[in-house]
This record gives sequence, structure tokens and C-alpha cells, in this order.
Amino acid sequence: MPQNGPEEVQVPVGPQHPALKEPESFLLSLRGEKITAVNIKLGYNHRGIEKAAENRTYVQDQYLIERICGICSHSHSMCFVQAVEEIAGIEIPARAKYIRTLIAELERVHSHLLWLGVAGHEVGFDTLLMYTWRDREAVMDLFAKLTGNRVNYGMNTMGGVRRDVTPEDLAEIKKVVDVLEERTKYYIEVATEESTLINRLSNVGKLSYEDCINLGAVGPTARASGVDRDTRRDDPYAAYGELEFNVITDKHADVYGRTLVRVQELMESYKMLRQIVDKMPDGPVVVKVPKKVPAGEALSRYEAPRGEDVHFVKGNGTDKPERVRVRAPTLANLQAVSKMLEDNYLADMPIVIAAIDPCFSCTDRMIKLCDTVKLEDRVLTWDEVRVNGIEWYRKNKGLNLAELNASLAGKMGKAWKQ
Amino acid sequence: MSSIKQKILTWARIKSPWVIHFNTGACNACDIEIIAALTPRYDLERFGVVLKGTPKHADIILCSGPITRQIEDRLKNIYEQMPAPKFVVAVGTCACSGGVFQGCYSVKSGIDKAIPVAAYIPGCPASPKALIDGVVKLLSSLDDSGDNKAQKELNPVILGEHRE
Amino acid sequence: MNSQDIKSKLEAKFGVFKDKITTPRANRVFADLALGEDFEPILKYIVTDLGFDNLLLITGLDERETFGVIYHIVNKDNIVLNLKTHVTRENPVVKSIIDTFRNSELYERELIDLFGMKVDGLPEGRRYPLPDDWPAGQYPLRKDWSHLPGEEPEQSNNEVPVKKDEEGK
Repeated sequence: MPQNGPEEVQVPVGPQHPALKEPESFLLSLRGEKITAVNIKLGYNHRGIEKAAENRTYVQDQYLIERICGICSHSHSMCFVQAVEEIAGIEIPARAKYIRTLIAELERVHSHLLWLGVAGHEVGFDTLLMYTWRDREAVMDLFAKLTGNRVNYGMNTMGGVRRDVTPEDLAEIKKVVDVLEERTKYYIEVATEESTLINRLSNVGKLSYEDCINLGAVGPTARASGVDRDTRRDDPYAAYGELEFNVITDKHADVYGRTLVRVQELMESYKMLRQIVDKMPDGPVVVKVPKKVPAGEALSRYEAPRGEDVHFVKGNGTDKPERVRVRAPTLANLQAVSKMLEDNYLADMPIVIAAIDPCFSCTDRMIKLCDTVKLEDRVLTWDEVRVNGIEWYRKNKGLNLAELNASLAGKMGKAWKQ
Repeated sequence: MSSIKQKILTWARIKSPWVIHFNTGACNACDIEIIAALTPRYDLERFGVVLKGTPKHADIILCSGPITRQIEDRLKNIYEQMPAPKFVVAVGTCACSGGVFQGCYSVKSGIDKAIPVAAYIPGCPASPKALIDGVVKLLSSLDDSGDNKAQKELNPVILGEHRE
Repeated sequence: MNSQDIKSKLEAKFGVFKDKITTPRANRVFADLALGEDFEPILKYIVTDLGFDNLLLITGLDERETFGVIYHIVNKDNIVLNLKTHVTRENPVVKSIIDTFRNSELYERELIDLFGMKVDGLPEGRRYPLPDDWPAGQYPLRKDWSHLPGEEPEQSNNEVPVKKDEEGK
């Protein structure tokens, strides 16, 4: 536990919402407005999934594992099913690989757009939330059409995928990608040209290259510090070995860098989606798989929107796994959050945490301010800290992001008539 | 409280309920659908629903997720901070019954194991349309029963499985 | 370097690995270190000489008579080494690798909370992932554990619950 100096105040924050597997609780030590130490308590969202997985069949586990996280449910499902197929020695049809990759990249698109909106909300740029989430709906509609559900798609099964896609579906995907690509260009413009936003996000939540490596950070969070790692390229799976794409890295090493990486990854995803549609091979979408999986072990790695997801599965010859071990990307990144928050202002906390993209939703988080000097207990909500942060930046740094709302609305109004 | 004052309060609540959202261990799917319900496509705000950050001003609490052991006290605490009359909406199958996490050692099953639930909205996740339908049904069921006592007798609204 | 190279080098350097290493697919090496064998020199070797610099995960296993601990580490050529070690059930102690890999902390805490293992050299810190009021001596991921005392498992989704009053009790 951080020690209190005479002028230090401890601020417990949390439990957060969703995010991560575990909405966590932070205990911040503040000197004035600056964060001097962070202590993180995790586990509020611990559900006992690994244990439950041992008592369910592989098919039932498919359903369970998808629900580790609703935003990247396909990621977890993929990581798991790939491990099981490896143990069982199953080779799935080419068309199934492509369909899986299709859903994977669509998931990345919806997730990054979601993130953009949430990040905008955290700094007072609410129009960005409205526009990006409205764009996201185009992807949700595609999911509903292709898989039957907006979220938690249930597309994967042992041996392939559960549904095929029609030529009409593929044409529709291309149309949606064209539209989203145009709109994303506006978001990139905003991210690279609006000095208010740039100033707000720069030098906040800094994490050096070395710290990323030592603390095991993954995904866009790490790539924004120059760490050139992306499992899709480094350890290809599904159809990625046959697609051309760039791994986006950046040198800013701060929240601004994490923003740039994500918007540019959106553009890469659009490129990949077109390639997938054009190259979609013919053939079956599934092969039959026995219910019992032989004894064996597999370690599966998958690049989820948030970073690398890792599953380890051990089969014992029955229809239930011996062991299922999951490490979601946010858990890896959480270990770097304390470092990121050091020497930042309390006003920065919402956006720094949001920048690791912890499956957050902007709702009730309770913050308790323990003023050890005055011995008072003030209770603040996250929303009050968020608003306080926005006000603080307006007053102390002259950064008013509300002005950007009008500017973005103007740009988008031209492109968006629906 | 006089019945006229009660009727005015009820009217105010129906016309513009203040809502808070609390995740009690969910996978986030329901959470993002709740937020999606507030964005322009579904626009819950046109019903006067306002998302608030604090329980002290809220009429309705939207709960997503099954209750994990660690979050239970927090949930009860937040519920107690809400002024009466207050209504709990269980959003998603996990909040209704524990869902896919039933039987997990760290999960205590549905929200109603900890606090009384006024409306159940199943779905995995509950879609924004189902959410709006559920909230509107809950508000309509409040029409004539502004009395505090009625809350205990309130038959919970259970929404049929809603598929788009 | 590919996985075959890693296998050869490990077998050459450490006799204990004879017939204990498999490479079921590209980029994967599975090595099994027998109970009682010294883990530290191996860890040092793979980090310094074979470029294994990225700890992905640590997995605990209940093997009935023993506990297994698997270290999943990646090297600069993206080969994943899954190095399995064993400890006895009576004395399930492992040494922390936090000095080599700072991000091992949470994974090692899971071994303590969920398996009841001990990790030497782990600095003071909050437990993870179980809540503070979790009863002592209850280790959920052990094979002989199914629920907390006094808490019967809930009925599964496949069964229809029968209400007590309907039975007339």
C-alpha cells in the first residue's frame, strides 16, 4: 500500500464497469493534483470461468468462453477453438478460415470505433461518441445479418464455422467498408489536425518502450510505444498468412499515440476485409469433429482488438477439457497502468485508463476521496471526476474540446445524410 | 405524502426517469447495448430517460451481469443510496438468472438474489430494442401506483425473448 | 531459429530433457521438466542464450499427485516455449520469476489463490483474483474442490428447478 506523506491524499477508485475481465479498483496517492502512486485491486469481475470450463463439454465451453468479454467475444472463441482443433489434429476448410477472419476483422472495426467514442466521451468530445457509435451500427447490422446476433455471434464451432456467407452478403460487406472508410478518414483528420485534441491527449499516460516490454503490454497500447508486435503477422492463424497488411506502430508512447494506432488500424482492417471478400475460397465451411478430444496440449495466440489473447488447453481424451487457461489482453496491459498513471494529473485518469481500451462502458464508477489530512470522507462518482477533468483542462490549459463538437458535426454533416 | 403529490412524482418519473447503470460482473455485451440504446439510432433519451452518474438522483437502476461475490456488497450499497421509490431492471440473461455463469463458484446467480427486481429483460445480450421495450413497459406499469407500498406488490415485468 | 533448433539446443545443454521435448507444430515447443529437477539454470539459459524475453502466461495444473506449473515464454523468433515443471502436493513451492519477468506477478498470485501453492520471493501485495473474504484453505482450481462448504452448487441450465412448496414440504 502506498505510504502517505503529510500532504498526500489517497483516492480509491472503482470498481469499474466492465472492462476487462475484472473491473478493478485503484487506490491512488495524490500530491495536490498529481498522482504519485497507484495500487490496483483486481478481481471484482472474477467469475470462475476456468473452473466451470472443466465441468462442461467442449461445445458448452464454446458458448461460455465467448462470454468472457462481449466486445471481443469472437476473439476468445477463436483462441479457444484453435487450441482445441490443434489438440484434435483437425484441419478446417479454407472457406471456414476466411469466414473466421472476416468476423475477426469486423470485430476489430466495431471495437476500435467503440473505443474512439468512449475516448471522446472521457475528454468531453461527445459528438465523437455519437458519430462513431452510429457508424458502428452499420457493423452491428452486418453481424446480425451474417451471424444472427449483434453481439456474441456464435459463429465458430469445432471444425469450422456454423454459417456460410452468400455472395449478396459479401457485396454488402464491401459497401459498408467503403462507407466506413470514408468516415474514418474524417476521424483521422480530426485526430491529426485538431490541435485541441492533440494537446489534450499528448504526453498523457506515457509508457516507454522498455516499460512496455518489461511489463508485458500488448496490442495498440504497446504498438503506440514502438513495440513492433502483432500476432496476426508474428504467429499467423486463420487466413492471415494469405493477407497483406501493415502492422501500425507509433513513437508517441502516450494516449495520443494509442489513438493514432487505432484509427490507422481501422484503415488496415478495411483493406483486409476487401481482400477477404475477393479471395473467399469455395468449399465447405465445416468438417465433422469427434466429441472426445484426445489427450494433448495446445497454446493458442490471437490478436484481439485490445491486444494479444492467449489460451492454453489441455485435453484428456474425454469430451470435457482437463484445463482451460485464459489470459485476456487487458490483464496484460493492466500491469502497466500503474506506471502510466505515475506523475499524471487526477484529471488524466479517465482517459489514461480508457486508452488501454479496457472494455469499458461509461457508467457508474464510484470514487471515494479519503482526505487523510482533513479526515473527511468525500464520495465522488467517476462521472464527477471525468467532468472535473474536462473542466480542469479547460481552466488550466485552455483546452476546450466542446468546440470540436461543432467542427466535427460540420465535417460529418457533409458525408452523412442518413 | 398526499396522493396528489404522489401522482405528480409518478408523472415526473414516468415522463423523465433518471437512470443509472451498474455492471455487476458482466461480460460487457449488455453494457454496450445499454449505451447503444442512448445513441442516435435507438435514442432512449427521446423517452426522457436520462443517464445519471450517481445513485442519489436515480429512479431506475439498470443492472447487467450476474452477481459476483466481490461486487455484491457494492451493489447493495448503491441500491440503498437510491431514494425510494426505486426500480431495478435486470438487463440480460445473466442479470435475470446467472445465465451462462450459473454454477460458477464466484457467481451468485441473478440480481434478484441481492435486491428486488422490477423488470427482467432477457437476451444474451439484451438488444437495445428489448431494453427500450422493457423500460417503457416498466414505466407504464407505474401509471396509477405512485404509492410506496405498491412497489412490494409490483408484479415484475418479464419481457418475452426479443429477437430482431 | 525454429522450434527444432530450440529442441536440439535444450537437449544438448540439459540431459534431463532427453525424450521430454515435443514440437507438435511450427512455433511451438513443449518441454517437460521432471519433478525435482533444477529450473533456475534452464530459465537463465533460455533467457540469455535463446532469446526468450516475453513471458505470456503461467498456468497451474492439478495433476492429482503433483502440481504442474507451465511457463509460456516467447522468443525473438516468435517460438513459444511451454516449459512445464512439477512440485509435490505436500510441498507445492515454486520460486518467483519476478526478477526476470516483472509481469509474472499476477500469474503467480493466481497459483497461490486458486491452487494453494506457495511462491517464494514474491513481494508483498494484494491477493488475486479471489475476494478478501474468501475462506482460507479453499482452492477452487484443485480437482478435489467443487464448492465452498455450505454452498451447494446451483442447478444447471439443463434441469428444471423444483420449488420446495410445490412438493408440499
